[in-house]
Amino acid sequence: MGVVLDPEKSRGSGKFHPRGDYPVRMFHVSKSYSPGTWALQDVSLEVGRGQFLFVTGQSGAGKTTLLELLFAAERPNEGQILVLGRNIARLRGGAIPALRRRVGVVFQDFKLLPNRTVEENVRFTLDVLGTPRREARSRVFNTLRQVGLQHRRYDQPKALSGGEQQRVAIARALVGDPEILLADEPTGNLDPELSVEIIELMIAAARRGTTVIVATHDISLVQRYGMRNIRLEGGRLLEESQEGTPS
Amino acid sequence: MTAWVSVLTISVALFLVGAFYLVVINMDGLLEEFGQDLTVTAYLEDHLTVQEMAGLAETVQSIEGVASVSVVGKEEALERFKEMTGGASLLVGIQGNPLPASFEMTLRPESRSAAGISILETATQGLPGIDEVRHGQEWIDGYARVASLVRVSGYVVGLVLSLATLLIVANTIQLGLYARRDELEILQLVGASRTFVRTPFLLEGTLQGMLGGLLASGLLWISFMIFTPSLEYGLAFLLGQAEPRFFGLAQISRLVMGGAVLGLVGSVAALMDRRS
Ligand SMILES: Nc1ncnc2c1ncn2[C@@H]1O[C@H](COP(=O)(O)OP(=O)(O)O)[C@@H](O)[C@H]1O
Ligand SMILES: [Mg+2]
Repeated sequence: MGVVLDPEKSRGSGKFHPRGDYPVRMFHVSKSYSPGTWALQDVSLEVGRGQFLFVTGQSGAGKTTLLELLFAAERPNEGQILVLGRNIARLRGGAIPALRRRVGVVFQDFKLLPNRTVEENVRFTLDVLGTPRREARSRVFNTLRQVGLQHRRYDQPKALSGGEQQRVAIARALVGDPEILLADEPTGNLDPELSVEIIELMIAAARRGTTVIVATHDISLVQRYGMRNIRLEGGRLLEESQEGTPS
Repeated sequence: MTAWVSVLTISVALFLVGAFYLVVINMDGLLEEFGQDLTVTAYLEDHLTVQEMAGLAETVQSIEGVASVSVVGKEEALERFKEMTGGASLLVGIQGNPLPASFEMTLRPESRSAAGISILETATQGLPGIDEVRHGQEWIDGYARVASLVRVSGYVVGLVLSLATLLIVANTIQLGLYARRDELEILQLVGASRTFVRTPFLLEGTLQGMLGGLLASGLLWISFMIFTPSLEYGLAFLLGQAEPRFFGLAQISRLVMGGAVLGLVGSVAALMDRRS
């Protein structure tokens, strides 16, 4: 069920990640925001390198909390979390930014800066990484081409549709070549056709070796793809589908 | 936009501090002018030779609190007396020159008080060749009281104004942070370190403070140029001979540095308040 005591044995034959290469591992993790109620309860989970995982569940099930823990925005009350080999519960303040530079994040509301161009928004990540200007320019261009927006690079976000804005946000998350990509309801504000586009961009990232975790309450979207998915209910990890991998 | 609001706020605040400072240094000039006129006179015995007088003047000069010693010879004393009384008629019938030679001592600013005077008195009174020491006691006490009042109130008002300025600046910079909270949030999401996030804000705050200081100096100078001529008569009455003084380069750079410190401390306070 949700608890995996010996991941190497139960899942070690995965084709897409070598033995023991799990960028994300959670062991009996619980999180509570207020005494007596659990946003997450006894969740254990492993996600391999290059794997794509859907986290489903109704509103309030704990999906956002799970991603926030992986992103070190929150700390667990119980259990251990290893992200890229680092113990989140014991991470010192200064180590959090260093970890975040290896993890990309995408949100439902895009979080783009309205008075910057598309290019500047994407370059933000590389400014923080300290990438030299020339290299940054070409990497931004290439990443924008991946999401099909290189021709809009001098526009401001408000000139773009919702789907396009989310593609910019994905470009911003991917331009720094993160080992993990976390997305919280990335299609929540988008029409179904655009949602498919967004998910496919993230599947492509997984094929290139990024570990991708997408939280969504949209079951129909999940069912379109044969990807691995887990379901949260009231903070508990209820069922886990057959392990899926991008083909 | 908000950056200019900060610059303007800092400059208005520093303008007030600077205007007050300007008043204080002019009062100080005035006090100094009065202080120069406060002298202690030591009358000398008649039998002293010129050499003895010179030696004694040197001794007196080295006494604590004495700024300068000028020798008034018997002849000069007589001249002054004649000038004061409008002729020599009072001296008719008196043999020779009855007036004694004297030393006129001016005081260092820190000794212009009753205590300073009495130290000076005890030190001079016992010296051989000195007959009597005189000074205007009431003058000294009044002067000392006014001088310390000006200084103490200068410090107090200056401190209060600076604290108020700091609060205003911190608040203005906080507004600036608020305007850029999206940017700060995204910086944190993409893994910017604390230093990476903070350094530009601190630099910006410092720079805004310096600009504010420069602007305040400029505004003060313009106001000084506009207002001193029209206040000439009133000022002449207040300041006497003393010219109204504006800041020197050192004081202007202090105002600019003060702005920089205000901007820096204000940004630090604003960032600490935000804490995330
Ligand atoms: N910052 C918070 N403070 C208090 N309670 C929270 C906070 N974030 C989430 N919760 C609670 O934790 C539970 C899980 O929320 P969340 O992780 O946002 O679920 P989901 O993303 O699946 O909708 C909910 O009951 C929610 O009210
Ligand atoms: Mg959520």
